[in-house]
Amino acid sequence: MNKRTREYLRGRFGDYYRRSGIDGPPAANEREWGHIPFTLGAGTTMVRHQSWIDIAGGGSLSDFLAREQPRHVYFSAGRYRDPGAGRMSEKGWRAADLVFDLDADHLPSVDPDATSYADMLAACKDALCDLLDFLEDDFGFAAHDTEIVFSGGRGYHVHIRTDGVLDLGRDQRDEIVEYVRGPDIEFEDVVRTESVEGIGLKNPTQKRTLPTDGGWSARVHRQLMTLVDEVRDLSEDEALDRLRQFPGVGEGKASAIRRAALDNHDELAAGNIDVHPAVVSLAKQLFERVLETDAAPIDEPVTTDINRLIRLPRSIHGGTGLVVTPIDRDDLADFDPLVDAVPEQFRGHEVAIEVTDPGSGEFGGEAFTIQEGESHVEEALGVFLMARGRAEKVAE
Amino acid sequence: MQRIHTRYPFLSAAREAVEAADVDLASVVREGGAPVERGVERVERALVDGTVAANRSWSARAELLSYPVARVLVSLVDVSGAVEKYARAEATLAYERFTDDFDEETQLKSTDDGTLSLDALLSDFDAGGDVRPTGDGTFAVRVGTYLELAAPLSGTRWRLATRVLADGDVTVSRRELYELLREAVRVRVADGLPLSVPDPIAGALDAEVANLHDTLAPVEQTDGVDRFEPSAFPPCVQTLVARARDGKTSATGRFALLTFLASTGAEFERVATLLDDASADLREQYERLAGDDAQFAPPSCETMQANGDCYNPDELCETINHPLAYYEQRLELVEGE
Repeated sequence: MNKRTREYLRGRFGDYYRRSGIDGPPAANEREWGHIPFTLGAGTTMVRHQSWIDIAGGGSLSDFLAREQPRHVYFSAGRYRDPGAGRMSEKGWRAADLVFDLDADHLPSVDPDATSYADMLAACKDALCDLLDFLEDDFGFAAHDTEIVFSGGRGYHVHIRTDGVLDLGRDQRDEIVEYVRGPDIEFEDVVRTESVEGIGLKNPTQKRTLPTDGGWSARVHRQLMTLVDEVRDLSEDEALDRLRQFPGVGEGKASAIRRAALDNHDELAAGNIDVHPAVVSLAKQLFERVLETDAAPIDEPVTTDINRLIRLPRSIHGGTGLVVTPIDRDDLADFDPLVDAVPEQFRGHEVAIEVTDPGSGEFGGEAFTIQEGESHVEEALGVFLMARGRAEKVAE
Repeated sequence: MQRIHTRYPFLSAAREAVEAADVDLASVVREGGAPVERGVERVERALVDGTVAANRSWSARAELLSYPVARVLVSLVDVSGAVEKYARAEATLAYERFTDDFDEETQLKSTDDGTLSLDALLSDFDAGGDVRPTGDGTFAVRVGTYLELAAPLSGTRWRLATRVLADGDVTVSRRELYELLREAVRVRVADGLPLSVPDPIAGALDAEVANLHDTLAPVEQTDGVDRFEPSAFPPCVQTLVARARDGKTSATGRFALLTFLASTGAEFERVATLLDDASADLREQYERLAGDDAQFAPPSCETMQANGDCYNPDELCETINHPLAYYEQRLELVEGE
């Protein structure tokens, strides 16, 4: 990025902030603030350990941002007695928001070199929905306690600030991470095993139950019951074919599972999988599968780091020119980052750029193809390409 | 001074009672007598027997004040793992007491002031509103509170990922809830320990600390045993092994046996094979006693005799005063052969 481009972007970011009215997160004065300025050269140096007084003391947060015109802006998930202290140990940690980060770079389904930016963002939104499933159904966080934010880059953040989470330490947050990421646990760990000393039984037997009222076991149970109901509705031949699609399930096991589905529906619905050994091994396979399909591949260190700096919602991401956009839960399904996170000020007029890295992509709801050399594009696209290092500003 | 405070001296209410009585720890220590004696007993029994239960009856005042005295003593006595063992022993006794109290509570709803209710204990740990009965014998614990209470517990079954979690509540059995509370007590007792003890108080306890060292010495000397050779076990332990296999050990016998086995550094699997018992209960008990760096010391011969756990002493027994010393000597003999 050359000097002209840098100064241009810096000025335009400043124009955005002048009219932004950003007021910052709750407890803004207990947080550490940091930003990365548009500086010369490739080196990016973060100005950190700033207090709310450093930031907003001269007026307001928007005034500060309009004056400094930073490339990136952050605040800490942590809250401190003395957030401006130069060392973490001197800040006096009090609490921290619970933060989740989904980044396309970390998704198993995404190859960062081969997947388009738009496709990465779509994959990330799917993962976000998996995460919200956990947060809402399992952890019971209400939609109004869950702030969902497009990161402006390649992913999404979720901020939670309810009383029960603020005090949690690293290890406890790690437990939450493990739960959400698809835990490193065995099938036997989620099954409840009871000894049954039945009348007339020489040896006590074990009864294995999948708890149906929550946790990973309930997820497995839901899959099992979906399959059971499917099998009940199929003809015998179809049902056996369906069941034999599972590895290790042959004629005999398929037949036993179908019989259990027909005859022991109530027991199965109650989580009693010990109606037949074949059902137990099927449930085990479903468990492995559910771990893969339901897990939300969040970026672990972001959640466990109780001092993490997070991008400020409604600031501009200096690497894309897109707005770090809070999203209403109800609007999430329709949210398209490459349309809804484009700053309105940069739309409706053109700018001249020199394209250094040509190619095609999607932006603003349309496909674009840019050739190497000078080109006139809508300013929003121009900013996007310049911020991503694919174009430089041309003198007007 | 209420009886409940003497039975549960770590409760906030008990601390307030001590404060309200306007008792100065320095003068309690200087005057000596029952509170200090009982404080010594607390620490000694914690480190030797794994419990802080009293061997004789003490006045309510001695019981209540002995707790802060014991916290000072355990801070002064320079024995590795002393704080952890002491905290665990206080928690174990509290656990025994509150489980009794809660059962009594469900049966009688007695208003006896010595009885602690589950509600009262939960509120003392700021968890009052976060735990509620589900109606089918289990409890729903708010997930944040669960994570805090379960933090010190190891074992897969405590990991959140293995639990039933729905709508922000973790389901736990009654027994699990009690275990969570036992850990909460342990953490609270250990909190702040070792204290930095002002010189006048430390000086007044010189004799007691020296005595504790003498008592604990035989236990400390046996740190070097780390082999597992059941044929070299002393007769008492051999007998306890046989009784355990038949399911006939007393509480003190079981403690002596498991702490002895833990001292050999044996993995649980070997212990399970030896005792023919691979139950989760035994594993948990063993791992708790074995600790990581806060292993409980097995009782001395004197304690074993007092508890009726000394069986068939042989000639070697007459030359030693601790079962581990016996084991050490026998191991040397075996090596010499």
